[in-house]
Amino acid sequence: MIEVQHLTKRYGPFTAVDDVSFRAEKGEVLGFLGPNGAGKTTTMRVLTGYMPASEGKAIVAGYNVFDQPIEAKRRTGYLPETPPLYPDMTVREYLTFVAKLKLDAMSKAERNERIASVMKKTHVDDMANRHCAKLSKGYRQRVGLAQALIHDPEVLILDEPTAGLDPKQIMETRDLIRSLAGSHTIVLSTHILPEVAQTCQRIVIINKGRVVAVDTPENLTHRLKGAATLYVQVDGGPNSIDTLRAVPGVQSVTVADQSNTLVGYEVTAEVNHDVRRDVAHAVVSSGFGLVELRPMRMSLEEIFLQLTTSEEPQQEAQHG
Amino acid sequence: MGNTVRNVATIAGKELRGYFGSPVAWVLMGFFALIFGRMYNAYLDYFVRQAMQSQFGAPQPTNVNSDMIRPLLQQASVVVLFLLPMVTMRTYSEEKRSGTIELLLTSPITDLEITLGKFFGAMAMYLGFMGVVFAYILVLFGLGSPEWKPIISGFLGLLLLGASFIAIGLFISSTTKNQVVAGSATFGCLLLLWIINWSADSAGAPWNEVLSYLSVTQHFEDFGKGVIDTTHLVYYASFIVFGLFLTLKSVDSERWRG
Repeated sequence: MIEVQHLTKRYGPFTAVDDVSFRAEKGEVLGFLGPNGAGKTTTMRVLTGYMPASEGKAIVAGYNVFDQPIEAKRRTGYLPETPPLYPDMTVREYLTFVAKLKLDAMSKAERNERIASVMKKTHVDDMANRHCAKLSKGYRQRVGLAQALIHDPEVLILDEPTAGLDPKQIMETRDLIRSLAGSHTIVLSTHILPEVAQTCQRIVIINKGRVVAVDTPENLTHRLKGAATLYVQVDGGPNSIDTLRAVPGVQSVTVADQSNTLVGYEVTAEVNHDVRRDVAHAVVSSGFGLVELRPMRMSLEEIFLQLTTSEEPQQEAQHG
Repeated sequence: MGNTVRNVATIAGKELRGYFGSPVAWVLMGFFALIFGRMYNAYLDYFVRQAMQSQFGAPQPTNVNSDMIRPLLQQASVVVLFLLPMVTMRTYSEEKRSGTIELLLTSPITDLEITLGKFFGAMAMYLGFMGVVFAYILVLFGLGSPEWKPIISGFLGLLLLGASFIAIGLFISSTTKNQVVAGSATFGCLLLLWIINWSADSAGAPWNEVLSYLSVTQHFEDFGKGVIDTTHLVYYASFIVFGLFLTLKSVDSERWRG
């Protein structure tokens, strides 16, 4: 449904997006993740036909956005970072204007029906006659979303759709996005990590204009965890470390924290070795108290930081 | 084709709503009516005195068309020069500043349709100014019997003049995010085009001809006399097309530069 091949965008000597390729299948929600200034907005602007790429191509809903921009735009809904509202129009007037721009000629009644249903879907119908200038941030964002949905596009491109919303609105927006998935192909950008985990089937992590990783949220956490790591807290002083080291399958043990007789260890096991049972047994049979034992999964935040700050795993992940 | 007309009309309608939905249109038209009304009054006064003197055997007979309407239209063109930059200054710069340009440029319409829509929207606003002029002139038909043909040609000239100003204004507005910069630069340009022929006489060949050809007001004069010369039509038409062409290119280059 969306195919981006070797996309490069340069602003003078500055390369904002560098050889980015990815694809999104029909009905999929693709999360675009990266720190500020990574090239997310630029990529989205190229996808929506707002600006041409310096190199490479982008195909949206079967149309090349450079060669057949009108056809591609007809099938794309776009919510920019700042919702493009006209302050002196009411919500209804604004959506009528956008509907006229994006939809083929239709009767007034038909168009009004369409507008009413989109307003209902995005929960802005109670503000229909309010001027856009007087809307709260949450409503602006949702009117922006209504604008993107008005022509029932096959592809939705949302640039930080939940930015500036309160927690309840964020949940509502995520529910809305999830309900749109399936019938629409959605690309959304964000730098809020739990958001992608909750709404997206696949994640593209982008940093400094380059794709760093493309995978499902689950796979990313698994893959980057590397060898399984356990957190073990033992009551019995620092000499308990030898007991842990002696357990077969344990690769290394490091002290994570310590208070009085309680010592927390990070135990790294060899690949494909589940050492939890043996570790528990060894601790207890040596006469120490086992206070806590849990697998340490890397959170998305850690993965993200690892991918976007260090150089080495970045290269690895790219070929993975 | 039908789609193009529809899209242009949608944009033009939106522009017009922007003018009349805010105080912009009303303030500008109010001041235009006030200033032009003051000029009208002064000319009428002068004309009535002239007419009375000619009754007592002054050398020249007076004529409503050449002594009143023609100079009035000339004055109207000057007022228009002052006010039109304020009409066009927001067209593109406001959209760029607020980010709504992103909506327009990602909608299934062409850049040309957007530009034409904005052009016709501003033209519709300008027709409001001309309506004011027309209303004043209409009063003269009640007082005397002016010839209507030179009035029609004068209005055609005024229309073309305004269209040229709007085309320049659109282009300048498309180059900046700042309305004030757009407005003052447009005003400066129009002023320059107005006075460009002032030094024509002392410039010597071939510059004097070039300079007076470039002057927007020079071409306007004949229309007031009731003369519709193709030279002037070509001048204004090429002016408008060139302005709109520059606007299109400016929007396009913005896309590439980001």
